[in-house]
Amino acid sequence: MTSIRATGLRVRHRKTLALDSLDLDLGTGVHGLLGPNGAGKTSLIRVLATVARPDAGRVELLGEDVAGHRGLAGVRRRLGYLPQEFGYYPGFTVREFVAYVAWLKEMPAARVPAAVERAVARVGLADRIDAKVRTLSGGMVRRVGIAQAVVNDPAVLLLDEPTAGLDPEQRVEFRELLRELGVSATVVVSTHLVEDVAAACTEVTLLDAGRVAYRGTPEALTVLGESSDGPGDHPIERGYTAALRAHRAPGEREAV
Amino acid sequence: MTTTHVARAVTTTRGPLLYARSRALPLTVAALAGTAAFAVWAAGRLDAYLDPDRRVPIVALAPLLASAVIGASLYSASDELDRTAVRPWWPRRLAQLAALTALAALLLTPAVLGHPETFGPPAVLRNTLGCTGLTATAAVLLGARLSWLPAFGYVTAVYLGSTTAHGRAATVWAWPTQPGAQPGAWAAALTAFVVGATLYAVRGARPEGSRG
Repeated sequence: MTSIRATGLRVRHRKTLALDSLDLDLGTGVHGLLGPNGAGKTSLIRVLATVARPDAGRVELLGEDVAGHRGLAGVRRRLGYLPQEFGYYPGFTVREFVAYVAWLKEMPAARVPAAVERAVARVGLADRIDAKVRTLSGGMVRRVGIAQAVVNDPAVLLLDEPTAGLDPEQRVEFRELLRELGVSATVVVSTHLVEDVAAACTEVTLLDAGRVAYRGTPEALTVLGESSDGPGDHPIERGYTAALRAHRAPGEREAV
Repeated sequence: MTTTHVARAVTTTRGPLLYARSRALPLTVAALAGTAAFAVWAAGRLDAYLDPDRRVPIVALAPLLASAVIGASLYSASDELDRTAVRPWWPRRLAQLAALTALAALLLTPAVLGHPETFGPPAVLRNTLGCTGLTATAAVLLGARLSWLPAFGYVTAVYLGSTTAHGRAATVWAWPTQPGAQPGAWAAALTAFVVGATLYAVRGARPEGSRG
């Protein structure tokens, strides 16, 4: 079932076209969003998270057109979002910050304390739940960000650079969490770390200059890399480079 | 989890309380009370019972200080996440601004009791509305952290320059230093408040870098 449908999305930042008539359908599973800096990943995530409006095009989340106010409220209740940089009131503890987001999502008050504890435990911070967020390390703050994004058990989860600042062990644990979430939800993970995509994603979407340059499975991208002699230490990295170059080379787009 | 632990968790996770803390409202109320206490102390040293005109510094500058405090509370540390809220923000923003403005006016009133026609409670109420309106507009255009600056510049300039200004126009542009019964000054201050409150309710403070 398609949970995210974007049609003809166009987003402009001053004179730059961040998304250029982009079409995308995503269903249940973990979708890796790859692409070079400035490809439009964050712009796409922000539009899907309903925090930015596209200049043109249409977004349907969970079957609702998010341009309509009535549909938007229902969608936001079932949406989780980790921005690249999220702020927090310096006086908040982990528990309070995650509960604040649960309140933004209008979760029933009686369910909030248990939901907060579960979300925080899922990111491995149960022992720091009453610590002030400002006293935590960068990696821990990132995990708090992931906890707030999953507190409402979202049907659509949008994560922008979720593994930035996580150590290797935390990344492995995070991939496990992604796989678990992807069983029932549509998870979109924007990242530069190709190995995270290979390990945890069911599908890959490669963006370049605001357009979809490649779509397929991580396995297909790996196979593409194995048959190419482009730069990269691992087949999937070579696949990433090969797909990008094929997209950029005029006349070769059909080959990918 | 023990019963005490559960009760504490429920209390500390109440949404409206967290919202109030996220906007530093307890600190804001304390700062407004401090401003009011300072205004009462300063008014007592002016011997205003001899001449109500001596209150002009209090009437002009105490609301300005209060509006700066209110402006700081319009900052949202988690603007990007706040934008994903299910409910529209405008009722909460409007309620916050209106409640703080009313509280500031109420707290400042004891500093200027009596003389309602000249420099008494009506003039303080008017100036609190006007200064808060300017500050709210600045929060939308510049961000909450610098929201105090335009009102500070304007009121200071008027305070320094209005002694030589006369005529009908001066009753409007020099509204912070006008007597309480001056209709032009009320019109200017009310316009500033309505514009600022509407802009802030609809758009919120301009996003700024996180301090978290």
